[in-house]
Amino acid sequence: MLARIGLEPGDEEFYADQLSGILDHIDRLQQLNTDHIAPTAQVVEVTNTLREDVPRPCLSQEEALANAPAAVDGFFRVPSIQEET
Amino acid sequence: MDPTKLTIGELGQLLRDREFSAQELVLLHFDRIEEVDGEVRAYLRLTQELAYEQARIADLAIKTGEAGPLTGIPMAVKDVLCVKGVETTAGSQILRGFKPPYTGTAVQRLFDAGAVMLGVTNCDEFAMGSSTENSGYFPTHNPWNFDRVPGGSSGGSAAAVAAGAATFGLGTDTGGSIRQPAALCGVVGMKPTYGRVSRYGLIAFASSLDQIGPFTRSVEDCALVLETMTGHDPLDATSANRPNDVRRDLAAGVEGMRLGLPKEYFDVAGMETGVKVAVDHALRVLESAGAKLVEVSLPHTDYGLAAYYIIAPAECSSNLARFDGVKFGMSEQDAQNITDLYTRTRRKGFGTEVRRRVMLGTYALSSGYYDAYYVKAQKVRTLIKRDFDEAFAKCDAIVSATSPTVAFPIGSKTQDPLSMYLCDVLTLGGNLAGLPGVSIPCGMSEGLPVGLQVLAPQWREDIALRVARAYEVASDMRVEVALV
Repeated sequence: MLARIGLEPGDEEFYADQLSGILDHIDRLQQLNTDHIAPTAQVVEVTNTLREDVPRPCLSQEEALANAPAAVDGFFRVPSIQEET
Repeated sequence: MDPTKLTIGELGQLLRDREFSAQELVLLHFDRIEEVDGEVRAYLRLTQELAYEQARIADLAIKTGEAGPLTGIPMAVKDVLCVKGVETTAGSQILRGFKPPYTGTAVQRLFDAGAVMLGVTNCDEFAMGSSTENSGYFPTHNPWNFDRVPGGSSGGSAAAVAAGAATFGLGTDTGGSIRQPAALCGVVGMKPTYGRVSRYGLIAFASSLDQIGPFTRSVEDCALVLETMTGHDPLDATSANRPNDVRRDLAAGVEGMRLGLPKEYFDVAGMETGVKVAVDHALRVLESAGAKLVEVSLPHTDYGLAAYYIIAPAECSSNLARFDGVKFGMSEQDAQNITDLYTRTRRKGFGTEVRRRVMLGTYALSSGYYDAYYVKAQKVRTLIKRDFDEAFAKCDAIVSATSPTVAFPIGSKTQDPLSMYLCDVLTLGGNLAGLPGVSIPCGMSEGLPVGLQVLAPQWREDIALRVARAYEVASDMRVEVALV
């Protein structure tokens, strides 16, 4: 559901089988005691890199929409996002 | 002398000496591609028009004496690096038809240096794989043996350089995706330190691990291409602002250097005898050249794969959320509602391996499992990084095989994802710790190339390249082009 990848009948068994094999391997991490170890999210010592907030040229609306599967009046067009009640 | 078999250094000299023009060189390469790529299938798309235009400009620069070392040199670009107006699909059907509105920084710097792009090379879908069999288009074949994989995920670029279908290539390396195909195809390949090369314009797989790097036919060429791409870029906040010193002391040799041999990397499961023999021989060559071999230990090696297969899928599941049928690429337009659009587009557009990793990643990040999987893996990442820090206190560089095996038969690992993941067991530690690593050919086993990996501390590409160069000189190694 979270992944929105559209599983179809038959897919579940196929992936469940493979994923449980992978998760069995991953379970070995539980053997390690990491109580006093800090997590590493990234490995180089840069933090909160900021740049000057200066306006600069960017893509035009036309360029930004050039790859859009559907566009109307300068917007991306999507199907309805709410059900009619 | 066949120009499709030469190094950048050799070709640059011949171009400046007017032995042939850049436009003639492009023509020769398209002839070579025509000759070999029906079987190798390294390229997804050729960019003839762009190549001839860039070659024309290169010839002008040569004529006016403004040519640099990369002027007119033909290159292959992996299908994950955006080039303005050139269809770029990350090896996936979901991006079919996508033409980026801009060119990524690394490629732009090579264009600015005069390199000529021949085409877009095949890869595993979203760079997820170790064989290029997960491409959403077709598999690529190893130029040394068409029944074997070229490695992956950057298999197309590696195969192109090995087959004489480009002088150098670009790849990306998240867990070994440059070094492993370089080893399996018998060329030089390098993953730089995380942050060395800007990732702007790279279609993201796992953002804390991804780096762009070169495939070449010599260590000197590798240093040159890397040096050209390197440098701070305001458009990638993780790109480092550091001196461009990657080729410092390149030719200084290894006299007195301490090379660490991690015992866990030599005892790894599935290590082939032929690989072991070739690597042992390479170590003797380095020793004869004056290096001191010391045993080191990376005690958490056995946990690297497990940590990697949480962190990389977690990051990919988040990065790939943008492929939703709204902004670019494939879109199932007759969907009933927005959720249906997302689900049907992703169902149709993503291949098996991508779906597997997105599922694994969303699972590891979901509430209730986040601490047990994702945070745990990040803590183990700390332990792995610490292993390398401690090893580098005892040595200047770490040397091992790049891959425990030579190129394996096409289809032999596709049914068992874990066996495919194990291909990267000697390379993914370098990504988790952000280290630079180079793979260079060090002999053959069963008629297939073997790669030697040199890992160095962060920001010490110069050391990795210096060791590789010393091996190249001492062994008289020359990258051979397959399919002569």
